Amino acid sequence: MTEIAKGSYERGVTNRVRKTPALLRALPAILPSVMFCVVLLLLWEGMARYEASPLVPSVGEVAAEAKRILSGGLALQQIGITLGRILLGFSVAFSLSIILGIVAARNVFARRFLEPSIILGLTVPGLVWALLCVIWFGVSLTTPVVSIALGVFPALVLHVIQGVQSVDAELIEMAKIFRLSRRDKFLHLWIPSLLPYLISGSRVGLSLAWKVIVLVELFGLSNGVGYQLNSEFSSQNVAGVLAWTIVFWVVMIVIEYGILQTLEKRATIWRRVAAT
Amino acid sequence: MSAPITFASIGKSFRRPHSPKPEMVLDNFSLHIRSGELLALVGPSGVGKTTLLHIAAGLEVPDIGSITVGSSGRPARLGMVFQQPRLLDWRSVRTNVDLAATAAGKDPKRGLALLNAVGLADYTEVYPTSLSGGQRQRVGLARAFAVEPELLLLDEPFSALDELTARRLRLLLQELWKQAPPTGILVTHNMLEAAFLADRVVVLGGKPARIREEILIELRRPRHPEDPALFEAHRKIMTVLTSIA
Repeated sequence: MTEIAKGSYERGVTNRVRKTPALLRALPAILPSVMFCVVLLLLWEGMARYEASPLVPSVGEVAAEAKRILSGGLALQQIGITLGRILLGFSVAFSLSIILGIVAARNVFARRFLEPSIILGLTVPGLVWALLCVIWFGVSLTTPVVSIALGVFPALVLHVIQGVQSVDAELIEMAKIFRLSRRDKFLHLWIPSLLPYLISGSRVGLSLAWKVIVLVELFGLSNGVGYQLNSEFSSQNVAGVLAWTIVFWVVMIVIEYGILQTLEKRATIWRRVAAT
Repeated sequence: MSAPITFASIGKSFRRPHSPKPEMVLDNFSLHIRSGELLALVGPSGVGKTTLLHIAAGLEVPDIGSITVGSSGRPARLGMVFQQPRLLDWRSVRTNVDLAATAAGKDPKRGLALLNAVGLADYTEVYPTSLSGGQRQRVGLARAFAVEPELLLLDEPFSALDELTARRLRLLLQELWKQAPPTGILVTHNMLEAAFLADRVVVLGGKPARIREEILIELRRPRHPEDPALFEAHRKIMTVLTSIA
């Protein structure tokens, strides 16, 4: 109690002395990332002006394209479709990898059985899954879901296996001695121990899913960000390709900072309280 | 409420890595602990003290022989204090104690009362990581007593603490013990601690382990850490230990 109370007291003091708005106080944390974006834009603009070619559109042109796809609501609609497919495929892979990961981590036979499939999965390019699924399942929803699940599962299951193996054996023993219920063990021992691994697995998994879905939409589907990218490409609209990429990139950043990092902070709050 | 415990003709071997022959730690080993008695197991490292404790905890199964805890058929309520407190660092102090209490079918209020008793009333909602080593072990004690144990296992419970803190916690353990004495097994390398806490000290030696000596500590509780009789008992235990080493 005193530790927490002391922490908030100190924060209270700095607030009163400085009286700075929240945004300004957050500046040191976000400044480097903002600087990266500015440097990237400047370099791009410099290159565009130097090349002076329609193949390298200026920052302004890309921004105008982004505005065009956003203003009609087209971008949000298409991103919604793509994101929905990602979440579906990702959920399938996530559930499977939790079950199989726990089994593999606790059973040597299961781990050795699963190992080749993980290595195979990690080395097969997303492009191959996309092509095969389009051939096998055509334009149905099965295509994106299965190909994403196949593309994401190996990385996710590796994280789960690592997470399960990292659960403190002494705590498992403790839970056994005090006869904690299966539910309590799951909620208070397994999930909190696994959570950091699940979050970092999701981070890798979501980025892999994005790389697969773009290909699936490009080859086999008639909507979604991948399809839009392809149609801009077909009409040789480089600014359009860049605009779609950037808009989707922004969505992924929102997911990263809004969901994953928030979850991560909540999951590890006990470590930071200890550090005060 | 407490449960008597009987080790009957226990045999246990371990196969060490890179060793072709299994090593027999216990062979035809028998020991009875009365209900409400606190028994200290002492002896050289590797003699099988922890194995006995693990067998009592159900973490290991003897190769032959049997162990009986309690007289009724149901498993006895078990509390244990480990060398390291083994707390769930991501759950509050209170949740740590409550989880054990509710698993044993006890009212969670009992957990709170015990945190009070161990002097942590102001720390119930903090994470264990913000506590000192001594405070963490207090949580461990509160958890072990929160289940109202019939059998209490103490695995070098205070060996990781500085002497002054350890001494305070031994007094606290004595206090908690008095309220509803469970049957207890204490494994320790601190002979003065064994003398202070136990009713009977069993000195183990040899391979497979044999009981070399049993020393009764017939002192009324509460005991005082400076009682000359404890030093006398300590001397006796040490004499036996040095003679078998």
